[in-house]
Formats: sequence, C-alpha cells, structure tokens
Amino acid sequence: MSAHYCNYRVEALPGQCIETVRPVRSIGLRRLCRLLAATVSLALVCLSGLAAQTQESNSTKPIPVLTGGSGFITTFDGGDAHLGPIVAPVLLVPFGDRWLVESRATFETDLARLPGSDAFRGKVAKEIDYLQLNYIASPFLTITAGRFLTPFGTFNERLYPVWIRNLQADPLILPIGIGPSNAGTGGMVRGGFPVGPEVTLNYAAYFSAASTVDRFNSDRFAGGRFGFFLPRVRLEMGASFQHLLQGERSNAFGFHFVWQPPPVPVDVRAEYARFSRGSGYWIESAYRLAQSRVWRNALRHTQVVGRVQQFFVGAQADDSLPAVNTTQVEGGLNYYFLDGLRATASYGRQFTAVENKNVWTVGITYRFAFPLGPGGGK
Amino acid sequence: MKPKWFIVIGLWLAMALATWAAGQERLNGHHSTSGSNAAPAASSSRPGLRGDARTRLEGQKRFEANCGRCHMSPRKFPPRMMATIIRHMRVRATLTDEDMHLILEFMTE
Repeated sequence: MSAHYCNYRVEALPGQCIETVRPVRSIGLRRLCRLLAATVSLALVCLSGLAAQTQESNSTKPIPVLTGGSGFITTFDGGDAHLGPIVAPVLLVPFGDRWLVESRATFETDLARLPGSDAFRGKVAKEIDYLQLNYIASPFLTITAGRFLTPFGTFNERLYPVWIRNLQADPLILPIGIGPSNAGTGGMVRGGFPVGPEVTLNYAAYFSAASTVDRFNSDRFAGGRFGFFLPRVRLEMGASFQHLLQGERSNAFGFHFVWQPPPVPVDVRAEYARFSRGSGYWIESAYRLAQSRVWRNALRHTQVVGRVQQFFVGAQADDSLPAVNTTQVEGGLNYYFLDGLRATASYGRQFTAVENKNVWTVGITYRFAFPLGPGGGK
Repeated sequence: MKPKWFIVIGLWLAMALATWAAGQERLNGHHSTSGSNAAPAASSSRPGLRGDARTRLEGQKRFEANCGRCHMSPRKFPPRMMATIIRHMRVRATLTDEDMHLILEFMTE
C-alpha cells in the first residue's frame, strides 16, 4: 500500500511533495498489479462462459492480427531540422465472440543536430499507448478495462496514427483533455446504436485512476463523449466533457464536427476544446482530386489539405501547450502510391506575439497488417 | 469511499446491466444467423435487388460512410483477419452492431 502514496500533487523532485495543493491519490505498482489481477480474474471468469456462446464458423473466426503504422517524417521547425522515424505496432487478440485484447506501442525518435555538430542524434522513445481488454456485452455496450486512449474529441482516438492523419503536425489543442500520456488507466463503457432511421448515437464514458508507474502514467479523471452521426449526409457532431479529480479539479469540454458531403471527395473536420489553461480550435479540409479531368491517373491519388488553428492561453501555463497565443495556417499534399503507402508534405506558418516561423514537413507513411494465425492468407 | 461514489457506481452498473439485458436477445439473434443477419436491415432500401446484392450494397454504403470518416479505404483482407479488424474498429470507432455486420459482410464477400 505504501509503494507510492503522494498526498500532495505538486512534486518538486521524485518522492518530494509541496503541501499547497489539494490531495490526490496515486496508484503505485502494487495497486496497479492488483487492478490488473482483478481485471484478469474477471476476464478468466467470463471466458469460462464462452463455451456457452454461439461460435462463428471457422471461415470467419477471428485470428490475432498485428497491424499498425510506420513512417519517416522530417520536420523543419523554424529552420531546425528534425528527423522522425516512427513505428507504432497494434496487436489485436480476439477471444470467443465478444472479447478483444488490443494494444498499441509506439517507438519513435526525434533526431536533431547538437550544437557544433553535423550529426543527428536522439533517443528512442518507447510508449505503450493503450493496452485494453474489451468485452462486447451487447449491441449497445462495450466494456473496456486497462489503459485506453482518452476519448476527448476525435483526434486522439481516431486520427492520431501517422498513416491516418492528413497533416503530420499535431493540432495545438491536442493535449487538452487527454491526460499526460494521451491515455487513462481504468475503465470505460462505450458503444454506438441507431436512435432513428437516419441517426446513430455513439458514446463513451470513462474513469481513470492516477498512476505514476513508468509508461503507464495517467491522471485521475472522469469524463465522457457523445456524438450523433447522420449517415445519409455523412455528418457527425459531438461533444466531450472531462472533470479532473486531482490538483486544480478543473473541467474541460470540447466539440467535434466531421462532414464528408457525399457528392464530392472532401473531408471537413473541426474541433474546439477549452479548459482552465487554454482554449482553441482547428478546422481542416482535405480534397481528393479524384474528379479531375486532367492528369487523371496521377491526380486521383493526390489529396490537398488545408488547416487553420488557433490557441489562446488560459489563466495558468501548461508545459504541453503553447506559452503564448498562437495562430497556425498549414497546407499539405498527400500522394497515395499503394494501399497504405503514402508520401506526405506540408508547409505551415505559425504566428505568435514572440515570433513568426515556418514549419515544413516531408515524409512517407505506411500501414501494415499481418495475420498471426492460420487462415490469415488469401 | 464517499457515499456519492457508491451512488454514481451503482447508477453506472444499473445502466450497464439494463443495456446488456436489452441487447442480449438481439446479439444472440445475430450470432445464430451467422452473418446473414444484416440482410433484413438492408432489404428495405433497394427492393429490386436480391438479398445478397442488397446486403453487399448496403455494406458498401456503411463502409464508405463509417470507415471513410477517418481514413482512406483499405484493401480487403482475408475473412479471418477482417473479422478481427472489424471487431477492433467496432470498439475504436464505436460502430453500431448492424454497421459492423454489414461491413464485415461486404469486406469478406
């Protein structure tokens, strides 16, 4: 129990606490092990009932899959070059008809030149983005336990992988509402179901415990997200809310919007987020030149992207957010060679009260998927 | 633990149990028909088409509407891989049960 119990939130050094902020409970390794043991026990109990469930035929019985994304992104940020190789494998292990264990790890490096040297140097950062056990309890409900990507807005959960995002730079407001490592450690219920002939509702509600365990750190918070999707017009609108259960005990909220007008290959996405340390928004539009009448073969693989975003500093500073009010305009080009293989480039101009700078990115991304069992071939 | 947390947890459990119970019958119905469950849902849209074609068309529509919201269309994977990937996407993208079955049908045809 006494593995790590920090009564006060602000830590000057590891193990030292300043007694000015409201108490926070943190789980240490022992408590995390207990939590994981409880989760595994629950899983084993429930797995024992799998025999009673209807089994799918062998031809469509799911097998473990290793998928994920990789890339090599070079960024020129205000003239400084950064080389960024990244691999993010996702392991999917299904059990029975209703269970799925999924995990994503990220290995990435930010290679930069040291002062006085031409060589690029950097360390490999290793993260376990999520490691979760999902149980599909009903058509309307999935129960999740473990470490999960915080469902605040849509970018962190849906658009974060390098092979999915249209522009490689993170939105300025991404850190709002997702915790210190983009993830929570605890439990979540989520699902989607039709609420009318042309409307579906999707939702997620979660609780995360504070954790200081290396690679599994998270804040103590609770929150939820819901969205309405209109398939006919391909429009989704939703909102997110989160209450921090430690430190300043602040609230965060946000809105998201996704629209793909069916007649044209255009994506329009936008998010707004606000909490005590800042607020902001981004609006992004991407157009696939599939309807071009000239150079059709080349242009139908090409996508043009534009994004505008602003961040406004709040009452307190936050290390993960810009220190001053920031406006950023970006334009990009993506070219899809094959399924999953893409070249990407973008130019952005960042405006702040301190300095204005250019941000260039150029790179290549690849999405892979391999079966980890028999029957995964053609 | 404060009493209010017992109330909150109790309400969550009650809601989860109620939802689970409401959906149990429907889920079993899906499994017992082994994938052909999606046809009735799709049958109302295009009365001139045969059941399989209707299902495929509806599956393609659902695929484009749901998967295309975030990423470009992937190629089709072998059925057993696709069954895993669609379960992953059901959780990640909060697909509805019906969407999941129709998309799986379309992607494994």
